[in-house]
Amino acid sequence: MGRRTYYDLIASLPGLPLRFDVERPPISQHRLNERLQMLEADDAAVVDQWTNFVHWDRQLLDRTDDDVAHSYQRLISEISNSFLLELIRRRMDTRTIIAAVRRRRAGLPAPTGVGQWVERIQRDYEHPQFQLQTLYPWIGRFDQLLGEGQALEAQRIIFEFNYRELEELTPNDMFSFEALLIYLARWEIIDRWTSLDQAAGKARFETLITETLGEYAHLFDATE
Amino acid sequence: MDWLLILGWIGLFAPTALGAVGSILGCARAGQAACGAMLDLEGGYGRYIGLSALPSSQMIYGIVVMFALQTAATPATPEGGTALPMTITATNSPGLFVLGVLCGVALMVSAIYQGACCASAISVSKRKPEVFGLSVAPAAIVEGFAVFAFIFALVLSGSIPK
Repeated sequence: MGRRTYYDLIASLPGLPLRFDVERPPISQHRLNERLQMLEADDAAVVDQWTNFVHWDRQLLDRTDDDVAHSYQRLISEISNSFLLELIRRRMDTRTIIAAVRRRRAGLPAPTGVGQWVERIQRDYEHPQFQLQTLYPWIGRFDQLLGEGQALEAQRIIFEFNYRELEELTPNDMFSFEALLIYLARWEIIDRWTSLDQAAGKARFETLITETLGEYAHLFDATE
Repeated sequence: MDWLLILGWIGLFAPTALGAVGSILGCARAGQAACGAMLDLEGGYGRYIGLSALPSSQMIYGIVVMFALQTAATPATPEGGTALPMTITATNSPGLFVLGVLCGVALMVSAIYQGACCASAISVSKRKPEVFGLSVAPAAIVEGFAVFAFIFALVLSGSIPK
């Protein structure tokens, strides 16, 4: 008792597809933000924290491990919602494992990273799956796909695992705030995948154009 | 005033009051879900609004039980009718209280949870219209328990001593 529910808001959101790899999200970012205005102020603040995390998470590529660790600690110290913390910790655990696989492929030492698996990865760095295969069965396949240079496919299996894992975390009360957070997290996976897919599609299209037209492909790109 | 008589009056009105509380909460939940669904749909709103009114039946059951308890507390006329004014006494108060309050609580809880079932049915059938009929089944089952409480409260009200 006492937990806040959002019957109107959650009923107004379109259902998420069974699989994340669809052509476009079932609801646009703009429309989703409009619907989220139904939230009470304190819950809206928690959703803002999630949005900030996602924004931060998408800009990690050009930062060092220490930078990431420091800003991560600062970010989670501001979060008091335990369910949101759990979602973020799971995301960062996955990120640390991905970093470890990539670093091992590059011949670098284990990452310092953040999350509960840092020590385990450092201890079992030479094990193909860091002894984490029970919890993260995708590590072996991910490593193999990276080795084959199939980065998009590698990303797909991580998204697939996370998308399914989030569905399993959905609380029984489908109108609770926690259910809304799960919806947002799953929607973000779809959004991220469709963004990747669009970028990959654009690159593929440009390659095809270049192959077909040869030097004429960039005839009008040159500046005076 | 004698506490026993107060309990009798509480029992008399409890089915209506508690049934109303349950119906208010149940209809509000389901109604909110129906309004939310309308934001995401282009048509077919009627059935969602109709579904959101399902938890109002507990209120009606509560009113009927209240009248049954009132009849039970009304002394019989020499001709066998019940035309005399209702009288709450130390003899009939315990029965009125127990039947009224317990039936009222059952009606209230069933209405609240039926509202949640209706909200889920609205949300699910909005995403998958073909399961509308099936999705209403849990709400109907919850209604069944409210009907049991209602019927047996009516049956037992005949046993309350005058």
